[in-house]
Amino acid sequence: MIHNAKYSLTFGWLYPELMSTYGDRGNIIVFQKRCEWRGIGVEIIRLDLGFKTDDLSKCDLLFMGGSQDKQQQIVMEDLMKKRKFLRNRIENGIPGLYICGAYQFLGKYYKEADGTIIPGLDILDLYTESPGKNSPRLIGNIAIKLNAEILNAKYLIHNTNVVGFENHGGRTYLGKQVKPLGKVLKGFGNNGGDLTEGANYKNSFGSYLHGPILPKNPEFADLLIKLALEKKYNSPTSLSPLNDSLEENACKSIAKRLDIDL
Amino acid sequence: MMRNILLVIIGKLVLAFSKIFNLGSGSTWPGHIALSVNKNFIKDILKANDNRLKTILIAGTNGKTTTGKLIQNILEEDGKKAFQNTAGANLLNGIASSIVLHSSILCALNYDYAIFEIDENTLPLILKEIDNPDFIIILNLFRDQLDRYGEINTIAKKWKLALDKLTSRTKLILNADDPQIAFLGDSRLDVAYFGINSQKNKNQNFQHASDSTYCPNCSGKLTYNYIYFSHLGDWICKKCNYKHPKKIYTSSPFYPLSGAYNEYNTNAAVLLSEKIGIEKRIINSALRKFQPAFGRQEILNINGKKVQIFLSKNPTSFNESLRTIRDLNAKNILIVLNDRIPDGRDISWIWDIEFEEFVDNFKSIMISGDRAFDMALRIKYANSSENQKSKIKNQKCSEKVKTIENLSEAIGESLKSTAGKEALYILPTYSAMLEVRKILTGKKIL
Repeated sequence: MIHNAKYSLTFGWLYPELMSTYGDRGNIIVFQKRCEWRGIGVEIIRLDLGFKTDDLSKCDLLFMGGSQDKQQQIVMEDLMKKRKFLRNRIENGIPGLYICGAYQFLGKYYKEADGTIIPGLDILDLYTESPGKNSPRLIGNIAIKLNAEILNAKYLIHNTNVVGFENHGGRTYLGKQVKPLGKVLKGFGNNGGDLTEGANYKNSFGSYLHGPILPKNPEFADLLIKLALEKKYNSPTSLSPLNDSLEENACKSIAKRLDIDL
Repeated sequence: MMRNILLVIIGKLVLAFSKIFNLGSGSTWPGHIALSVNKNFIKDILKANDNRLKTILIAGTNGKTTTGKLIQNILEEDGKKAFQNTAGANLLNGIASSIVLHSSILCALNYDYAIFEIDENTLPLILKEIDNPDFIIILNLFRDQLDRYGEINTIAKKWKLALDKLTSRTKLILNADDPQIAFLGDSRLDVAYFGINSQKNKNQNFQHASDSTYCPNCSGKLTYNYIYFSHLGDWICKKCNYKHPKKIYTSSPFYPLSGAYNEYNTNAAVLLSEKIGIEKRIINSALRKFQPAFGRQEILNINGKKVQIFLSKNPTSFNESLRTIRDLNAKNILIVLNDRIPDGRDISWIWDIEFEEFVDNFKSIMISGDRAFDMALRIKYANSSENQKSKIKNQKCSEKVKTIENLSEAIGESLKSTAGKEALYILPTYSAMLEVRKILTGKKIL
């Protein structure tokens, strides 16, 4: 079990200034605290507009949140310049969590209501479409069950339910190279039709779940930390348990709203 | 006309009825009925009264109710007759309802001023109903309820389009420190700007929940000489040289409420009063008599203990409440988080509050409401004395922070743990504030 200072992780927070409109920095806070509580050293590198790829190569885990349209344009321009570098790291298996706008970025393209195609980073096999001006945004509490295929025996999770809040206009469709992160139990998910939510490719995870996603789903947070440690130290690890009773109660309040048992 | 008279009479009956039977939503029903029978109801009645009646609209994420109440008090001190829509009833139906309530049964509004606080999304709609209001105050634009309002750039764009259509009869009173709001006055002649001048609140760093840090004119990144809070401060765009309008009003003779955000509200109200031509002496005297609107720093006395309520509904208003009560040396606080429609269903925003800066200042933190455990989780992750290394929950911490979902019980416990001379500070979201007041005063307020 990991509980000493010889381990440390470096988290790369992509565009904290521009891509964190929805309380998504809660995810970074959770990474940091859950490591510190276990005595794992933490460094957080803020990868803001114009960041150097050298800084990206120091990171053991990447996170990027969502934002407003105007900000997303600015970020996309910057990110396109570093596309190859980011793709290499993702292909090499750097663990990462990409929420909402960031998740859409990783795909092939975003098709606007008038048919205009905005190219994506084309790292993950998925694309997003605007459903047109008269279709509603997909908004509300959501519960999903994590995809058993991506949780092989190595990553034993007791509670495979994940809850959050989704708020997105775009509908995302997955290609064959990626797996859904989970199956929608209640809510809309990727496109409100095929019951998939999010995507997984190697150690990268994309999702529409705000909330933010990690505080109420500590086992998912720990899975990402574990992946990062194993990748960095190249050996299997298990994390010491923490008291997650508040987390369980917070999940229950969502379950109550969605009228399901979790 | 006959139809409108009938609608006013029906509306008044509905109001009387809902008052007698203590029905909570009474304040928007009459307007709802009036607008569904005559969608031009607001337009018709205001037009019929525009000889005497002047209209003042107040928009912005935070501070509408307080600013409106300040203006009403100043106008009344000056001998004018003024009415305001019920706090929070700021959609079209709420505005129509306040017209029903204050109109005679012959549809005459015997007032000098109508003051309407307007919801963010309703501002463009109300400007279709009221041709050229006399004054529009715009206070600020912060992220709030993204599930309902959408993103602030979208709102700012809609506002700009709607305001650009107004003639010069409408005078704009705008916050110069908020770049998106200042931009609304660009290319208009009848604009007056307000801001604040507070050495104590000047910062060099951004809070996390800052929004408009990009130039509203060219999208370049803004540079700030200093920041008061969120994205309010002295800004300049080095790309297109668009910058803070320097000639601004910042010097109310008196500030009746604490906190930098109330300095903005007060300066906006005083600037408008001066534009109307009200004497300084009268403004000053109205400010000194001012009593806060319910839930906005309102003080209640509960069995000899002082309880003060700070409505806290989005990251910026929460941060400012925390800063203000810290300056008041608060020891006991009760936070109430609900996720009902008036609060916003999405509570992600609590992770944008800077609790890390404040948690250590308080002796006891009680948490309640529909989403109490989400808030408890946020505090757990902000609390430096939260330490799980030994797997035993830190004693000091678990004593300090308590979670009770049931609000009556939580209020009871908080009052009990508030020592004789100390005060209890309650920070609720909107629907939670109404509930808190109902419990503390024993009656509903709407």
